[in-house]
Amino acid sequence: MLMDFARLGWMRWLLCATAGACTLFLLAPLVLLIALSFDSSPWLQFPPPGWTLQWYAQVFHDPDWLASFITSLEVGSCVTVLSVLLGLLCGFAITRGQFRGREILRGFFLTPMILPSIVLGIALYSAFLWLHIAGSFAGFVIAHLVLALPFSVVAITGALEQTDKSLEDAAMLCGAGLWEARVRVILPAIRHGLFGAALFSFLTSWDEVVVAIFMASPTLQTLPVRMLGELRQDLSPDIAVVSSLLVLATALLMGLAALFQKESAR
Amino acid sequence: MTQAFLELRNIRKNFDSFTAIDGVSLQIPRGEFVTFLGPSGSGKSTTLYVVAGFIEPSAGEVLLNGRSLLGVPPNHRDIGMVFQRYTLFPHLTVAENIAFPLRVRRRPKAEIAAKVDEMLRLVHLSAMRDRKPAQLSGGQQQRVALARALAYDPQILLMDEPLSALDKKLREDLQSEIKRIHAETGVTVIYVTHDQEEALRLSDRIVLFNHGGIEQIGTGEDLYQRPASAFAAGFIGNSNFIDIEVLENRNNIGDVRCPDGSTLSGVPLMGRTQTGKAQIMLRPEHIRLTAEAEGIGGHVTDAAFLGDVMAHTVLTGWGQEIMVRTPRQMFMGPPAGVGDAVRLGFAPADAFLFVPH
Repeated sequence: MLMDFARLGWMRWLLCATAGACTLFLLAPLVLLIALSFDSSPWLQFPPPGWTLQWYAQVFHDPDWLASFITSLEVGSCVTVLSVLLGLLCGFAITRGQFRGREILRGFFLTPMILPSIVLGIALYSAFLWLHIAGSFAGFVIAHLVLALPFSVVAITGALEQTDKSLEDAAMLCGAGLWEARVRVILPAIRHGLFGAALFSFLTSWDEVVVAIFMASPTLQTLPVRMLGELRQDLSPDIAVVSSLLVLATALLMGLAALFQKESAR
Repeated sequence: MTQAFLELRNIRKNFDSFTAIDGVSLQIPRGEFVTFLGPSGSGKSTTLYVVAGFIEPSAGEVLLNGRSLLGVPPNHRDIGMVFQRYTLFPHLTVAENIAFPLRVRRRPKAEIAAKVDEMLRLVHLSAMRDRKPAQLSGGQQQRVALARALAYDPQILLMDEPLSALDKKLREDLQSEIKRIHAETGVTVIYVTHDQEEALRLSDRIVLFNHGGIEQIGTGEDLYQRPASAFAAGFIGNSNFIDIEVLENRNNIGDVRCPDGSTLSGVPLMGRTQTGKAQIMLRPEHIRLTAEAEGIGGHVTDAAFLGDVMAHTVLTGWGQEIMVRTPRQMFMGPPAGVGDAVRLGFAPADAFLFVPH
């Protein structure tokens, strides 16, 4: 390599310092937040006068927090499953289909990524009012599916493009029907793409708040919506606790993803 | 031949405005090793994919044992295929790859295990059975692909330039392996390649493709000794084409005039022309360098010692370069060097006459 770390000389220290500063900059807010969740003061005082787990106990015993946590999980799971399934079908259409306008379709699938989410939120809300599914679970899932699908399509289309079509042909000549070949040969071959699609779909729904505000009703709130509502009423340590838990959940998911990547790289 | 095993009848394939195959007809008996040879874009691969069932012909018929294959999807055609690219299923081991077509057919477990063992022995890869494809070399991958394609005893084995990604030495090893496996299994093979040497080495018969049609069908020797067209003569082996004029036709034997004005008699006209402009083709090994007064004159521009042969390039008086190859045992005296004036001698009967279109 042209830029060999061992041969950088004194520049190495500069490089390390820069990297350290960046890491600190990125992590500091999270560390502060997690520290506050153990803060014994009810007013989010920093530095904390003492340490406690009582806010965690309080959150775990609050049925409202639990309900919104379950809602987030349910919406996220439904979105993940639907997004991967639809993404897979879209991926096959884009990469294997032979019809006019394939490239246009491909671009079209990405539009929710580009549109401001507030615009999407308003549009979906008005559409759902008309369809009478505003504030329903189905509405929530559909709205988040719109946001998640582009990630799924990108991940799966990319994986399919890297998988040779002759793999499918070979499986078919071996006696498998088209969909049997796809399920038994192509799906295992693109499992990275599928996993990535699932992960990004779930995370998209999990931490989405703008569209969710339009979709939520007093009885149906995802975690971020409820956090925002709570914040507007008062600043309690509960927020720090829930935020810390969210960070923990995301970190766990990312760790899982890294493990999966390592396993399949072998 | 009462009924061909596999028959193609006047196959045509148009893609939009482009005609990929233009009326291909062919009969293949059971157990034959047939090679589709031709330059890229000549329609040989397209024809193979028509047989495999991945391309539907615009017109024509494909018959196996007298029954049409056209309505039959690829997975029911009972055809094995080895592709140009590596197509082993990456998540399965070597043994699982070979077992795949049998599992799809829901054969009993014991039968699958026995067949996988047999196939691994056939391609000499028993030691690799639990490896993943990524852990194999290119040559090994293609051997596993061959084992997988033969595991279900297909009626026909198709091979689409399976060795083109391998280096020369490995390619030759695998060629003899393929030949052995063909002899052991007796399967009917259609093999696509653009490499004439590979075609000559492997095939019972060669089908030479050009511009979407068949130029000539025959054994390697037929194509080399009796090329039906200038294209066939040029594609198989090395060749020199010289523009000539046929002066006289006596019972299909002609007197011709070369561009430098020298005349030759005794050139077989093969019924191709009466008189007028034509070309003769000469194989480099049919030409001798002589010091005689007769023959086409020129001087040597390149001389190379290639072990078993000496290769010369001779520039003729009219400015055309002619390749000459002299076998070692034919060397007479010190070989001609660059700059030497020489004459090209050949037996008129060795010249092939073609009339350019």
